[in-house]
Amino acid sequence: MAAEKTPLIRLAKRTEMKRSSMWMIRVGSILVALLLGCLPMILTATNPFSAYGVIIQGSLSRPVYLKQTIRTAIPLLGCALAIAPCFKMKFWNIGAEGQITMGAVAATYFALFWHDRIPHVPLLLIMAFTAAIAGGLWALIPAFFKARFNTNETLFTLMMNYIAIGIVAWLQGGPWEGRKGSQLIPMFSDSARLPTVFGVNCGWIIALVLVVLMYIYMNKTKQGYEIAVIGDSVNTARYAGMNVGWIIMRTMFISGAISGIVGFIIVSGANFTLYSGVADGVGFTSITVAWLSQLNSFAMIVISMILAVLEKGSNTLQTRMSVPASIADIITGILLFCMLSCEFFINYKLIFRHKENKEEGV
Amino acid sequence: MKKLFSVLIVLMLLTGFVFAAGSAEKATTASDPNTVKVGLLCIGDENDQGYTYNFIRGRDEATEMLAADGITVEWVTKFNIGEDATCTDANIEAAEEGCQIIINNSYGFEPFMLEVVDDYPEIEFISCTNCASVFDGRDNTHNAFADIYEGRYIAGVVAGMKMQEMIDNGKITPEQAVIGYVGAYSFAEVISGFTAYYLGAKSVCPSVTMKVSFVGSWSDATAESDAALALADQGCVMISQHSDNTTPATAAQQRGVYHTGYNNDMTGIAPNASLISTRIDWAIYFYEAIKAYVNGEEIPQDWCKGMAEGAVVMTPLNEAIAAPGTAEKVAEVEAALADGSLEVFDTSTFTVGGETLTHAFALDTDGDFTADSEEAVYDGAFHESEFQSAPYFTVQIDGIEWLNAAY
Repeated sequence: MAAEKTPLIRLAKRTEMKRSSMWMIRVGSILVALLLGCLPMILTATNPFSAYGVIIQGSLSRPVYLKQTIRTAIPLLGCALAIAPCFKMKFWNIGAEGQITMGAVAATYFALFWHDRIPHVPLLLIMAFTAAIAGGLWALIPAFFKARFNTNETLFTLMMNYIAIGIVAWLQGGPWEGRKGSQLIPMFSDSARLPTVFGVNCGWIIALVLVVLMYIYMNKTKQGYEIAVIGDSVNTARYAGMNVGWIIMRTMFISGAISGIVGFIIVSGANFTLYSGVADGVGFTSITVAWLSQLNSFAMIVISMILAVLEKGSNTLQTRMSVPASIADIITGILLFCMLSCEFFINYKLIFRHKENKEEGV
Repeated sequence: MKKLFSVLIVLMLLTGFVFAAGSAEKATTASDPNTVKVGLLCIGDENDQGYTYNFIRGRDEATEMLAADGITVEWVTKFNIGEDATCTDANIEAAEEGCQIIINNSYGFEPFMLEVVDDYPEIEFISCTNCASVFDGRDNTHNAFADIYEGRYIAGVVAGMKMQEMIDNGKITPEQAVIGYVGAYSFAEVISGFTAYYLGAKSVCPSVTMKVSFVGSWSDATAESDAALALADQGCVMISQHSDNTTPATAAQQRGVYHTGYNNDMTGIAPNASLISTRIDWAIYFYEAIKAYVNGEEIPQDWCKGMAEGAVVMTPLNEAIAAPGTAEKVAEVEAALADGSLEVFDTSTFTVGGETLTHAFALDTDGDFTADSEEAVYDGAFHESEFQSAPYFTVQIDGIEWLNAAY
């Protein structure tokens, strides 16, 4: 009998890799992405050099643009921090979108109905606090079902997003609507808006503080250690006497609370009103940020800035060079694809079937 | 190793700046006083063949008209902007790119536009179809709209004549003369529009009634089509619309009923259904506003013109399927509207809960979103778009049934 056929390409887990070469692969993948990104530009008769130039100019070259870019990066960074502990635990929370939205709803309630009764700073603190609670509770629902009935958290958290978005759509056209039939919730008064520091809403300070706190939480505390153990092996955690269900719920509450605060920063610092698209895909994009940063809080700062540069820059690209918006999206997609797939090559190596093996097989 | 990474990142950014230097930024100061840079921010793109297409058409016509006067317009047009914070960003970007006038084409853009206007006092901001500029105390904000209810009234006349013809031919009974109207939101601009349309139809077909279905979006091709199909299935023999796409026209054709459109001539895509459309000719306004700017004059704070000035126009009548005599009737009504002998919202032609309308306020001055000043009903008519350009007729009149009011 012939020996079992060896596949043409096999995958093997890499055992060890120098950190330097890991980073080389990562940066290399970005360069490959930039090269691939030239293709759609050439197809639409745009000079890739000037196009990349415009992306950089449009996101960083002027104080106004830089501020806009940072404003885009804040929620990405905050939300990546929020989902990091869940992902470390291998609890696939893709419901950050909904948790942001519910946080925004809670903050908006106080912004709309209490702004004339509570002074500025206490109002903002109440908004932030209730946003955290609302986001946390919204995240707690799927966590409870996971812990109690072992439901699938991916589907559950995803579906919760649409409920949250539906609630806002209802508020927009119903009880909180401004001019009748307009579907617009009125803009916040000044006392419900985050103050700016160096021209950008102070959400960036909150986000940076969260970076440090999350780093400490994940690496230096007992709870962070428990999360890591569950992520590696639930059975080990049980054997060590950890209450896995409780830890899942606690971690999801913290994750949802941070997402809720991100929702507060978005409505109070950037949009100044609430609408159903308030999360604007941040809950999903931040998954990419978290993965690309290997769940490292500090790396998230860099990655979220890169994505914000792309987003803001491609907007300017559309304005200046009349490039269709979808082309800019394609370039962003290529970049994300390359950056994520490089993680695959860091973890696995390809082994090609050797000629002699082939003959053996036949 | 982190160090190596950061060095590489810095290198990457530097390469970016080299690229950036390659396409050096153009100076934004317009040296030629007869050249003006204008931003146009659109909710959709011209593929809608409706609302945004109509703006683009106005843009191109105005450019030609201004060129004839020796004025060159450099347009920065941005498409598919949301009625959300992306609109704030788009306004900032247009301002930073050197636009001297920035036109926002959708109602919901205004609150987001107003977040930006104070940072750029030297730039003129225009919000089409909205109404805040009169009360906001700023010099650089403007509104504009046209008396589109006049065009809708005439479209209603065309529809009414067709239905009366069907009644006279015995194709339908008088009770079956039902119009199905696809509206975006239950919002003043829409209510004013479909009421004018209904009154136009009623003036030539007294037994007509109307059903209105709101789709909850200005532009959702599928929802608009679904609503039109559902209305036809409920027995409506005439479809009209206040939404941005052409799908209600194709839906009407599919169900074998008639249609009148908005924003664009739809007889091309629904030749057996679409009778006529009405649209705002934005070129008239763009021309006036940009010309005023170049001449150093003020752009009107709140601009509104109608059919007599050419700001509202009818698209060509589909003679092949329209009732005989329609063209003559349309000309007659147009003349009557122009000389003021005909009022669209003549209070003797409709009732509200069985009563004649005697009172309705036009303007909201205190910002609570309820009209509280300027009596709009006088001299036997409701006077639309007189106190501000944006429509303010929100009364629900008899004969029009709202199928849903969730929006």
